[in-house]
Amino acid sequence: MFKAKRRTVVTVTAVAAVLLAAALAVTFFTQEKDVIAASDTNVVVYPVGHQPLAPDFTGTSLTGATIKLSSYRGKILVLNFWGSWCPPCRDEAPTLEVLDEQYSPKGVAFLGDDVGDTPANALAFMSSHAITYPSINDQGYQIVQDLSQAVPVRDTPTTVVIDKTGHVVGMVLGSVSYGEMTTLLHDAAVNT
Amino acid sequence: MTDVHAPQSQSESVAGEDKAKNPFGAKKKQSEVDPASGGIFEPAPGGPGGSSPREATANVGWLRWGWRQLTSMRTALILLFLLALASIPGSILPQDGTEPAQVQQYFTSHPALAPWLNRVDLFNVYASPWFAAIYLLLFASLIGCVVPRTFRLVGSARTLPPRAPRNLRRLPHSSSYQSTLPPAQAVEGAAAVLGKQRFRLRRADADATDYWVSGEKGYLREVGNLLFHLSLLGVLLSIAAGGLFGYKADKLLVQGQTFADTTSALDEFFPGRLVSGSDLAPFSMTLNNFTATYVESGESRGQPSSFNADVTYTSSPGAKPGHYNIRINDPLAVDSTKVYLIGHGYAPEFKVTGANGKVAYQEATPFIPANTSTFESDGVVKAPDASLGFMGVFVPTGISVGGTLESIFPAADAPAVSLIGYSGNLGMNDAASQSVYTLDTTGLTKISGSPQLLQPGQTWTLPGGKGSITFVGVKQWVSLQITYDPGQIPALVCGILALCGLLLSFFVRRRRVFVRAVPAKSGTGSVVTVGGLTRLDASGGFEEEFVELAAEIAAAEPEVKQ
Repeated sequence: MFKAKRRTVVTVTAVAAVLLAAALAVTFFTQEKDVIAASDTNVVVYPVGHQPLAPDFTGTSLTGATIKLSSYRGKILVLNFWGSWCPPCRDEAPTLEVLDEQYSPKGVAFLGDDVGDTPANALAFMSSHAITYPSINDQGYQIVQDLSQAVPVRDTPTTVVIDKTGHVVGMVLGSVSYGEMTTLLHDAAVNT
Repeated sequence: MTDVHAPQSQSESVAGEDKAKNPFGAKKKQSEVDPASGGIFEPAPGGPGGSSPREATANVGWLRWGWRQLTSMRTALILLFLLALASIPGSILPQDGTEPAQVQQYFTSHPALAPWLNRVDLFNVYASPWFAAIYLLLFASLIGCVVPRTFRLVGSARTLPPRAPRNLRRLPHSSSYQSTLPPAQAVEGAAAVLGKQRFRLRRADADATDYWVSGEKGYLREVGNLLFHLSLLGVLLSIAAGGLFGYKADKLLVQGQTFADTTSALDEFFPGRLVSGSDLAPFSMTLNNFTATYVESGESRGQPSSFNADVTYTSSPGAKPGHYNIRINDPLAVDSTKVYLIGHGYAPEFKVTGANGKVAYQEATPFIPANTSTFESDGVVKAPDASLGFMGVFVPTGISVGGTLESIFPAADAPAVSLIGYSGNLGMNDAASQSVYTLDTTGLTKISGSPQLLQPGQTWTLPGGKGSITFVGVKQWVSLQITYDPGQIPALVCGILALCGLLLSFFVRRRRVFVRAVPAKSGTGSVVTVGGLTRLDASGGFEEEFVELAAEIAAAEPEVKQ
């Protein structure tokens, strides 16, 4: 009887110890994963020869014009996925506008893809940030789904740089910085 | 779970039987001797540590002992109990995965308690490390228990019956008769009867000097046992497959809106360990209409009576559109992905113009129900391009109670909003994300005249030429849960098979019949003894079966003569 009691105590203690150890192990591993994710760079550069071809898509701009990706062939294209509701998109807007002003004369085209938004909100955003390049009205994320077949457009904002042949040179996940974009644009110009 | 009788339980003696001569008696394996009861292994005093060979053996012993404890049924039961216990907070407290808005609400109403609960992941129980620890250990425990048992069961299902005991009269059931045949033929005759009854037979060796046959029936019990254990493994693997390759996602969709199933379109995405965003099913859907009906009168007035989300969907870009009505427990299935309707609410549509007179915001804005019986809902309108923000309360059927707006019915019969306006920089130009359901009023100026009550079509012109806000109308939103669980069907099939196996192992008995013949003392013929034995004959029935069988064996004599 006494022995059985002692055995139960031992078992329960052992189980508790193993549980604790396992909990610590799981916590440790999940935390480590978070650290890697946080320190991960937000720029993806595809090496030459492994650049995915962006699937063609057709959309309607916020002002009602038809926009086709293939009509940008022969130009380097900066395709920015954004929404007026998204603070990081507002954060990066001035950088993109400066880049547009600098690189448009050099044959680089800029195109926005406005997701999860209404045209009224989007046009107000463009007006207040003095954005002059067009944007597709993509409330339902269909263009995102099309492009996701080639490259992972996981979040908003995401900016994709496509070369003259329609291949994706690289992309920036999250807000862009001036330096990241000029490097990608340089890569796109050198490659084609 | 694993108390289905595995072979090692054969060491328990059958009631009234001599243990030493137990024909079922398998020796208790040495490895099964419990170390804690002073068996083959006694942990070294002082516990693990050191490096001498003896201590190394002790360490291995500790590990083996730990493994045995983990894979023991007691531990499995404790873990199962802990799993059930750990699920309780998951059903009592709102969970981030399914009800993020209610979690937010809980934080607001319990400002002191909520952060503490959050610290131990009680708002995300099923994804918490301690919950994972319990089920991982349970998995390890069950697999460690089931796999060795499966091998033992295969062995047990393949073994021949044991040799006939010397003295059949000592068995619980026995009878004997005089035969006119010599012993060898008498035994052969009995073997023919047993064979016809589909007993598995074992005869005496060719050079043996005694005459006997052993028969055993009821191997289906072991097959059932085996099926149960394998199906249990199947259930575990299916659940694991679901966890690795499945995903769950939430999406709030307003009437008239479309969404394509991509990670950036989803509000919440909980992928399995081996799932990436590119594994999502490439469907898209549009919410054409949502209708909720409520009981209009009587005691249960205001209770919902039906929900219906009318959607148009395409299974992949360019595919032919389909049409479906999603209801509670009637999800839309697109390929293997299911879309469930899990919630709904109101999205009042607002138009905000800035000081320059231009439209800065026009959108049906989802408000979150604060009271799910009256659907009084809270929400915010953010028009950063007009430097205006509003906090609002929406009531679907509003009345004024002493100057306070209250909702008396969940349907939008007399919708109204009460708005408090703020002007200033909403802080949305910083890279930091912020919730679309809250407005940080730090640094903002409250607009005088607040709160303002508006009905559909009414406009509040803000003082000081700051602009205006119009309550355009009301739309509804639905909360959808998108799930892909490749393990669901296999788990169901395995579960059913496990049940079948369990029933087989419960209802089929292993029973053994032995026949021995010795030459009659008179010189001619023989004395034939039939003995029978079953294990765990709790439901009874073997006694009658044995009597009939013994009679049949005795009656078969003339056939042998021919």
